[in-house]
Amino acid sequence: MLLLPILLAIRAAEGDADLVARLQRREPQALGDLYDRYGRLAYSLILRVVRDTGIAEDLVQETFLRVWNRVQAFDAQKGAIGPWLLAVARNRAIDYLRSAGGRERNAVEFEETDHPALYIDMEQGILASDKARRVKRAVEKLSAQQRQVIELAYFEGLSQTEMAERMGQPLGTVKTWVRTALKNLRDDLGAAAVSA
Amino acid sequence: MNCAELQDHYELYALGLAEEPERSEIRAHLDRGCEVCMVEIKRAREMAALLGGSAAPAAPSPRLRRRILASAGAGERSFGWAAFLAGSTALALCAAFYYAGRERQYFDEARVLREQTRNQIIEIARLNEAFAILNSADTTVTSFGENQPKPKGRIFLNPSRGLLLIASNLPQAPSGKAYELWFITKGGKAVRAGMFQSESDGTAVHVERGAMDMKNTAAVAVTMEVEAGVDAPTSTPMIVAPLAAATQ
Repeated sequence: MLLLPILLAIRAAEGDADLVARLQRREPQALGDLYDRYGRLAYSLILRVVRDTGIAEDLVQETFLRVWNRVQAFDAQKGAIGPWLLAVARNRAIDYLRSAGGRERNAVEFEETDHPALYIDMEQGILASDKARRVKRAVEKLSAQQRQVIELAYFEGLSQTEMAERMGQPLGTVKTWVRTALKNLRDDLGAAAVSA
Repeated sequence: MNCAELQDHYELYALGLAEEPERSEIRAHLDRGCEVCMVEIKRAREMAALLGGSAAPAAPSPRLRRRILASAGAGERSFGWAAFLAGSTALALCAAFYYAGRERQYFDEARVLREQTRNQIIEIARLNEAFAILNSADTTVTSFGENQPKPKGRIFLNPSRGLLLIASNLPQAPSGKAYELWFITKGGKAVRAGMFQSESDGTAVHVERGAMDMKNTAAVAVTMEVEAGVDAPTSTPMIVAPLAAATQ
């Protein structure tokens, strides 16, 4: 069930290069097609972060407008627009959480998603690949603390210090959980996860 | 720092968890196109993207798509007010022409119906007059044209109500012509007594209302005259019915 948003993108990812080219030609229908492919996925991610449907829809709108306005920097032949769009969506949502909570923005992270050229080598169709299912299984295999820190990092954008405060745990312990969780995920995915 | 020293920090970087100085080091490697770091960051971003796909599925409201397209100036085509007004005007004009035509048609039909009704009222009145003459006790009748192919029929005479002529074998009156009825006085004078036309089958029923001077009338005659009628017969009568032969 949790993989449904990813599975929705299976067929869509195959035509991303053509879709990016149409977006760059400013074809109005291309934005509609982009939304049809990734709108539900982006909304699910943002809603998971902000937990408010109205705010989530506003942030989805911001996400697609940002992609629409910056897509000229994308390489239509190499680009994987889905992961980029999801990164923008996540950062929009976390930016909202940080603003609402009076927390500082992560400048480096936001700078990167504002430059889609950094995503040009990402494997096309990554969201539809078997890797998605493997990551899901790998997350499920993590301990409760390891899974919690990954979710706090990804879905709430907490720094390790903030996680330590939230969980009432020593910073060193949290860092250990984070590093162990990421290593386990990396090991579970194996060397095959690294695209050539 | 070299790439090996950054090995454990790529996922942290991709998730926004990297701290200084590792974060700046990775950024510097990426800025100078470090192939190792590019590959590792790519892998870490893939994993981050896949984590995003693990959120519980949810569906936004259907209007969100329209909102996004509209805000990007890429709204789907829809009828604008100008097109709507133009279409409405065209539709209204078509409706006006249609209903104007229908109104004219209804008006013409009503006029025909009024004419038919008026003629039927006249015919009913004429028949009522005829029945009144026929049913009156003092009505007398005389025949004409018996035992011959030329026009024949009967004339019913009532002193107070008038005359009823029922004829057959009447030739079709030429265009512009009609039959004119005459009262022939005992002094031989012809007095106009009305115009009538025969039916297509050669029959005719004519009622001439009004009191009759039976004592001074010798006969009833019919001639073919112009439609407007004449003051005196211009042709030989085709019907002559003497009143002396009239019986009750």
